[in-house]
Amino acid sequence: MSAAFPIALASAAILSGTSLLYATLGELIGERAGIVNLGLEGLMLIGASTGFAGAAVTANPYLGVAAAALAGVAANGLFSYVVITRHANQLAAGLSLTFFGLGASALIGRPFVGAIVPGLPHLGAFDLLVWLAAPLAIVLSGLLYRTRWGLTLRAVGESPAAAFAAGRRPDRVQYEALAVAGALGGISGAHLSLAVALTWDEGMTAGRGFIAIALVIFAGWNPLWAVIGALVFGGAESLQLQFQARGVDVSPFLMNMVPYLLTLLVLTFSGLRGRSAAPAGLGRSFFGVE
Amino acid sequence: MTRLRMLLAALLPLVLALLALPAAWPAAAADNLIVGAIYVGSVNDYGYNRSMHDGLMAMKAAIPGVTVLEAENVPESAEAERVMEGMIQQGAKLIFATSFGHQQFAFNLAQKHPDVDFEHAGGWMQAANFGNFFGATQAAWYPMGVAAGKMTKTNTLGFVAGVPIGYVIGNINAFALGARSVNPKVEVRVVATGSWSDKAKEAAATGALIDQGADVIAMHVDSPATVIQVAESRGVYSIGFQSLEARALAPKGWITGLGFTWGPFMTATAKSVIDGAFKPAMVREGLGEGMIAIAPFGPAVPEETQALVTAAADKVGKGFNPFTGPITDNTGVVRIKDGEAWGGDKMGNFDWYVEGVIGKAK
Repeated sequence: MSAAFPIALASAAILSGTSLLYATLGELIGERAGIVNLGLEGLMLIGASTGFAGAAVTANPYLGVAAAALAGVAANGLFSYVVITRHANQLAAGLSLTFFGLGASALIGRPFVGAIVPGLPHLGAFDLLVWLAAPLAIVLSGLLYRTRWGLTLRAVGESPAAAFAAGRRPDRVQYEALAVAGALGGISGAHLSLAVALTWDEGMTAGRGFIAIALVIFAGWNPLWAVIGALVFGGAESLQLQFQARGVDVSPFLMNMVPYLLTLLVLTFSGLRGRSAAPAGLGRSFFGVE
Repeated sequence: MTRLRMLLAALLPLVLALLALPAAWPAAAADNLIVGAIYVGSVNDYGYNRSMHDGLMAMKAAIPGVTVLEAENVPESAEAERVMEGMIQQGAKLIFATSFGHQQFAFNLAQKHPDVDFEHAGGWMQAANFGNFFGATQAAWYPMGVAAGKMTKTNTLGFVAGVPIGYVIGNINAFALGARSVNPKVEVRVVATGSWSDKAKEAAATGALIDQGADVIAMHVDSPATVIQVAESRGVYSIGFQSLEARALAPKGWITGLGFTWGPFMTATAKSVIDGAFKPAMVREGLGEGMIAIAPFGPAVPEETQALVTAAADKVGKGFNPFTGPITDNTGVVRIKDGEAWGGDKMGNFDWYVEGVIGKAK
């Protein structure tokens, strides 16, 4: 007989939540350093196609994931240069990165459409990236709140000028944060192509990058809450499909709205608290102290 | 300096003329037909686009001297019009617009270029130089149901649907009717993803069906690649749709599948254009006419099941209509009365599931 419904739902939520979690954690680190990156969707796409291509070429899915992480770092490096060194508007640069990623990933993935690659093998119930996702959130949380690097990073995100006055280099910390974010964004995409869908298709992230950006807000910029958020959002997607498979009559359109309704609710209530959890310097360029 | 500029200015028209020459060439020497084809996705998708590409290649092999111009990933927007216009500039006299959403854009061009013939897949528009064609898939799903009904051990079949429009519901209904003709205990569970191509959702939908006990998975999405590979990785059987080549994706769990074989139709159409005898029509053909074929069986399928499936396919090919009454829907209402049979337009208008399908069609 079929698996019990709660177990099936939980495992489906974990599987679809994993790539969301990597993407969310990446965006979160960048935002904590004061940089909002709307190009996450593009990063994920580059990761998905590079990961798939890497696995196809090397016949090793883990090397594919590594390639995806590197590609994510490279793509975010470009973004970093534009917004940190050249002080470009982060929102405009991020959206450009999304479209750049859409095109670049199509170009990279084109020769590999229809390739049959080894997917990430299951170690027990899940693949390695699933097992590492929640521990990674704990590690990042430790890094942010219990190390000097994390303290500096958060200080830069709140007030680059103050961090600069205290002898820190805001631009360097932001570059580091965005490198981590790029790697995580790439891995997030690779999980989609190498563990979930087992194929590469243009635009296959289908908006998940933007959901992850919303999830950062949902999580209140806290990596541990991001785990919960990714499970809730992943679960909302799975629940709708699991309901259909059980013949439960709910509108799929309604179910598809649930994640966004949740985000709106969280935004409403975080607004009511009177104090935003967002880093104070988020989205602003730091031109140095004259 | 000025002399150099003058020289350049004099050379420029010459260079431009030379550049324009190759583009004009095929049109000038046009006793050989140039055929254009636009696809909404990649021709390596093991699915719909692959089947269209294979059809074009069969046509090319059958008629010597035909040139094929292809464009992949052509969106269902005004961009499609520009791509086809470019093909016409290169001398194309016959265009296959292969995605449903290409229809209006192809039709606009057909009005503009009365000397170019168009064939659109799946639509309804008609003009002197604009015809449309598609596979009559519903009845062809019946033998797929027979295969699934014989192979399932859990008596639960899963169906991943993209957008649950009437045409897709018809496929699912025929699939269920075929399955229950050999195994009345079978139930078919359906999950719709709401998109023709959302790989992550297709993977999750396949997983959800398997969680519900389905041990045979069929699908109607643009590319079966994700659904079949997820089914294979979870050790259940699969039945493919769109391209016969999808069997490569499931070396163990493949049962069989339906694939479009557009080659003969495309060849006949190209010949009619060459002879100046193009006749637009609304063509809907199935197993009997050779527009759809049954894929080779996988290693797990016993010979007696193979024989049953082949016999069912022959029956459909010879005109058997699975939608012959009495047929009740899954709420117990008789939808097709005894002695009545549904066909033609009604195949695209289903808004109910037959008995044995779990779920609501609306």
